[in-house]
Amino acid sequence: MNGPDQDLDDASLGDELAGRLAWFVRLRWVAVATLALAAVAGPPVGLDRFWPGLLYIAAAVAGYNALCWWRLTRARAAGTTSDPAHPIPSIDLRVLAVAQVTLDLAALLVVVHHTGYLASPLLPFFGFHMAIGTILLSTRTMYLVAGATSAAAVVLQIAGWGDAVLNPALMVPSPTSVVVALPLAAFVGFLFGIVYLTGSVSDRLKQRNTELRRLTGALRRQSDDLERLVAELDEIERRKSHYMRVSAHQLRSPLGTVRTALDVLAGGYVDLATPRGQHLIRGATERVDGLLRIVNGLLDLAKVREGRQRAPWTRQVNINQLVADLVDALAPFAEERGVRLEARLDRLAVLDWGVPPDLVHAVENLLHNAIKYSHAGGAVAIELAVEDDVALVSVTDKGIGVPEEFHDQLFLEFVRAPNARVHAPIGTGLGLALVREVAEEHGGVVEYFHPPDGGACFRLALPLHIRPREAVGPLPGRDAAGYRPDTKPRQAGAPGGGIREIQPVSRVLRP
Amino acid sequence: MSRKTVMVVDDDPVFREAVGAVLETRYDVREAANGADALAALAGALPDLIVLDVMMDYPSEGFDVARTLQNDERTRPIPVVMLTGVDQVYNYRMETDETWVPCARFLEKPITPERLLQEIGELIG
Repeated sequence: MNGPDQDLDDASLGDELAGRLAWFVRLRWVAVATLALAAVAGPPVGLDRFWPGLLYIAAAVAGYNALCWWRLTRARAAGTTSDPAHPIPSIDLRVLAVAQVTLDLAALLVVVHHTGYLASPLLPFFGFHMAIGTILLSTRTMYLVAGATSAAAVVLQIAGWGDAVLNPALMVPSPTSVVVALPLAAFVGFLFGIVYLTGSVSDRLKQRNTELRRLTGALRRQSDDLERLVAELDEIERRKSHYMRVSAHQLRSPLGTVRTALDVLAGGYVDLATPRGQHLIRGATERVDGLLRIVNGLLDLAKVREGRQRAPWTRQVNINQLVADLVDALAPFAEERGVRLEARLDRLAVLDWGVPPDLVHAVENLLHNAIKYSHAGGAVAIELAVEDDVALVSVTDKGIGVPEEFHDQLFLEFVRAPNARVHAPIGTGLGLALVREVAEEHGGVVEYFHPPDGGACFRLALPLHIRPREAVGPLPGRDAAGYRPDTKPRQAGAPGGGIREIQPVSRVLRP
Repeated sequence: MSRKTVMVVDDDPVFREAVGAVLETRYDVREAANGADALAALAGALPDLIVLDVMMDYPSEGFDVARTLQNDERTRPIPVVMLTGVDQVYNYRMETDETWVPCARFLEKPITPERLLQEIGELIG
């Protein structure tokens, strides 16, 4: 059976119990002082029959109270009330509480015995102790304590009859008298009644307390979730602002050059008709072209980022066809650069859902980069594999590669390694960011592998069976567009590849 | 009196050429395409002033060059004019305690030829 207090978490229970026990230790010092005062002040006012018994009891209570105080201090040192990671162990405290209640009742029993027993004016203090015990401990425990106290009272009564009590001066009633048994029965009933009444009230309170704690815990968790969410939103906002700042800078820099060149020409520092003037005009024009490329790249990125809702998606996108078409389309560029293109597309890969223009853009970027950053006479391999229902488009080259310090920022906007800028001065640094966006749009990922023998390898992983919400249900006309699955996988070149044993070194999804 | 020398460090050849054409009206001009080239060139004769871009081979290269110059007794006296598209509160890939840059002027691109000549003139005449 689970008592209401057993549902409480150990930490908060220990915390609470420690506080209450400390309060009782202080209260007990007051009781000790009162007992000692009664023992000392009793004889002068004619209460000498209490002496010296009460002083012994006061000493005993002071002794075990000191022990309780020491034990409580030790338990508190083991755990702190403010640190949830180190709670005060509630088990130790419960044992301490049971011991205190038992000792208090034993002491009270002796005091009561000395002060008139069932006729003692201190008898109501049993009610106080039983109520306190019931609040501190479980009702079940206190029924046991009430039973033990009743048994002790009966034993004392019988001992009193046999004249073997501590204070024989007391008037002890005759054992044959029914009048004696009745107050005893009433006393036992009083003890159990107090436990019952206090228990029924305190159990309900404890239940409410448990519920309150549960609700507080839930609220705290919700508040933590909210805080996390706000932090995430802040981070998104920060990233967005950072992106805009970087984008603005990327535009501002060439604009600054164009403006300066025009100022120099307009101010007559350089004559337009001279070769130098012509050179400046050509340079400014190149910068304007570069600006247009950046603006177009940013627009492409924005289009992908606008989300799936507005994307021209289709079902059943045949990646083989898409890659083969791109290989064919880029063959002249490869030839022009003296680069051999090798395609291995022997596995059929059809995406349930995809945005063909974006996929074309992404794969084209990878393939175009591989050719662009290859040395003349080099080779670029594009391979399509399917593993665990994921289409893997790998593009491997033996070109200039990516310096190690750029691996972790490869897929961020406007990042171009110095060797890339030297090898191919024209470029925006937006291509791989777009590939990353397209991969994410399709529930996939783009990874960079660093081949040990040089060059670069990018792998676009696209899950075959992702079906966004808006792609569910009949949507006539949409299937007609894009890359439809062929009856057999299309081949577009000789075998290549061999990159799968290399671990990815860059798998950046977010800056 | 011989003409003073200004070194223009910028990764954009068109910008170097344009600025160079302006500065040539008063000074001898030397050019460097990045920080490393600039520092290598400074091993020889020292210019009287350096016009330095920030984002070159990497985003904070100009700042690093400026600090290197500051830390070298030989180059410390040369006034550095940061001339860049990076604005002064720009914190791209930089910690706040690294934003301090030892330079005589912090100018933003684009700058008019007149203003550039005036700023440099105030520093080296």
